[in-house]
Amino acid sequence: MNKNLKLIIIIIIIWSIGPLLWQLYTSFSTTENLINPFNITSNRWTLENYTNLFKSDPTFIRFIINSFIVGITTSLFTIIISIPSAYAINKFSNLYQRTFKSILFLTTLFPHILLFLTFLELARMLDLGNNLFTLAIPYTGLSLPLSILLLNSSFKDIPPELEEAANLEGLNLLERLFYIILPIAKPSIASTTILVFLFTWNEYPIALSWITKSNLLTLPVSIARIAGSSMYTVPYGAYAAATVLGSIPLILLVLLFQKQIISGLTNGAIKR
Amino acid sequence: MNILLLLPSLIIIILTFFIPIFRYTWLSFHSSSVITRLNEIPNNGANWFRLFEDNRFWQDAFQTIRFSSISVGLELVLGIVIAIVLNKELKNRGLIRTLSLLPWALPTTVMALGWRWIFNSPYGFIERFLIYFTKDPINILGEPSITWLATVVGDVWKTTPFIALILLAGMQSIPYNLYEAFDLEGGKPFKALFKITLPLIEPYLIISILFRTAQAFGVFDLIQVMTGGGPAGSTESLGVYAYLNAMRFLDFGYSSTIMIATFIILIIYSITITLALKYLIKTLSLI
Repeated sequence: MNKNLKLIIIIIIIWSIGPLLWQLYTSFSTTENLINPFNITSNRWTLENYTNLFKSDPTFIRFIINSFIVGITTSLFTIIISIPSAYAINKFSNLYQRTFKSILFLTTLFPHILLFLTFLELARMLDLGNNLFTLAIPYTGLSLPLSILLLNSSFKDIPPELEEAANLEGLNLLERLFYIILPIAKPSIASTTILVFLFTWNEYPIALSWITKSNLLTLPVSIARIAGSSMYTVPYGAYAAATVLGSIPLILLVLLFQKQIISGLTNGAIKR
Repeated sequence: MNILLLLPSLIIIILTFFIPIFRYTWLSFHSSSVITRLNEIPNNGANWFRLFEDNRFWQDAFQTIRFSSISVGLELVLGIVIAIVLNKELKNRGLIRTLSLLPWALPTTVMALGWRWIFNSPYGFIERFLIYFTKDPINILGEPSITWLATVVGDVWKTTPFIALILLAGMQSIPYNLYEAFDLEGGKPFKALFKITLPLIEPYLIISILFRTAQAFGVFDLIQVMTGGGPAGSTESLGVYAYLNAMRFLDFGYSSTIMIATFIILIIYSITITLALKYLIKTLSLI
């Protein structure tokens, strides 16, 4: 391999995971060693930052569980609602198809921070705040366009003859969807689910304005709270430990599903 | 029948994305704040007059445009470089892709705090590094003229992989024999980038730039956690300002006005930058 190429790759890798490794390093350091990190003393390493996270009330694990609850609920809602729509779009004439897809694409460009206020008003009006399951409602709305676009493009790749044959066999719409379309589209359903889950896991402004009870906070909000606890002295050791713990589920997700994530991302960009 | 299948999503999408626009437009012509006890009272465009004279708004608009143009510009250039590297025949392409994907997958708030620690003065990594070169390193997060660059670093770090992956998909769709033909005709390798690669991945470039520009315009998590908008309001984005107006000053009318104004600026800016990109690609291919 070309030497320059190798160098570039090493730089890319260091650039990508360097900051994460620094967090890892910080999370195992005592406060004294954070102030003086290259000072090698006997009690340089500590697990205290981690044990503190489990002693706090509510414990940090609670936030991770909360994020899982919202993530899974949102993914389920989104997939169930978007499958019929993604399927139906292909049945319209070309002009309509293009119109629908352009509108969907346009909505994926909306900055989410500009939508939070209406959601908040809605939450107040209908008393939806402080509930992890209702939080999945705006998340579903926000994830729908991308999800429909992704699924639609994969449904489009299925040869229409398959469905026609099934139709002749007397299968109705629901049966065709369940026995023909969905099994073939499984990979893209998986990648869509994962992308929606990732979005939900990371969402911040809406969770911030909807959830005020500390035992219901999602992971990003709980971490931002550590930052907000004091403008000047952030407990960086504790925080780094929180980062590491909070990142582990995502790192596992990326390692396990990198193929699906990448295919989802690229399909989302290409096939409109 | 088909329209019935489409209806649920259609309704949800209209509620999610378009009702807010109408609602904000309407609210922007009303007073709705603590003073009015959140009752909506028409105020003859007072919010808009206030907006035009609000220096903080214009400074934030400037900051938002500065932040997104520099971030997205850097991400595009780095994204092209990384995509070219990943497009080569590599042994560990999968591993490299996975590793470069990690920053994108992590919550913004998580690494925003991570960056705050890295840029911390005097204990952060950067300052410890700078101390070898200068006795009195500047506190990056405390210097209004440069703090925004630190937020750019955070954004570039997080989203370059996303752009690289999309561009990589574009590059993989280019048939290899195009490059061979170019080579046979005596074209220089680096010129192939301008004459073949960039023009052919133009749609991918435009999608990434649109996507990223819209996101960078709505930057909120990163700023709120990393700098809190400071120092001296120098990194405050329009999203942060709109959020503050709603949540801290409880002025929903003015917050809505800021959001509508942000949308308008974003639309104008996106169209401009897309046209500029197209023009740039065309010009480069003619060199």
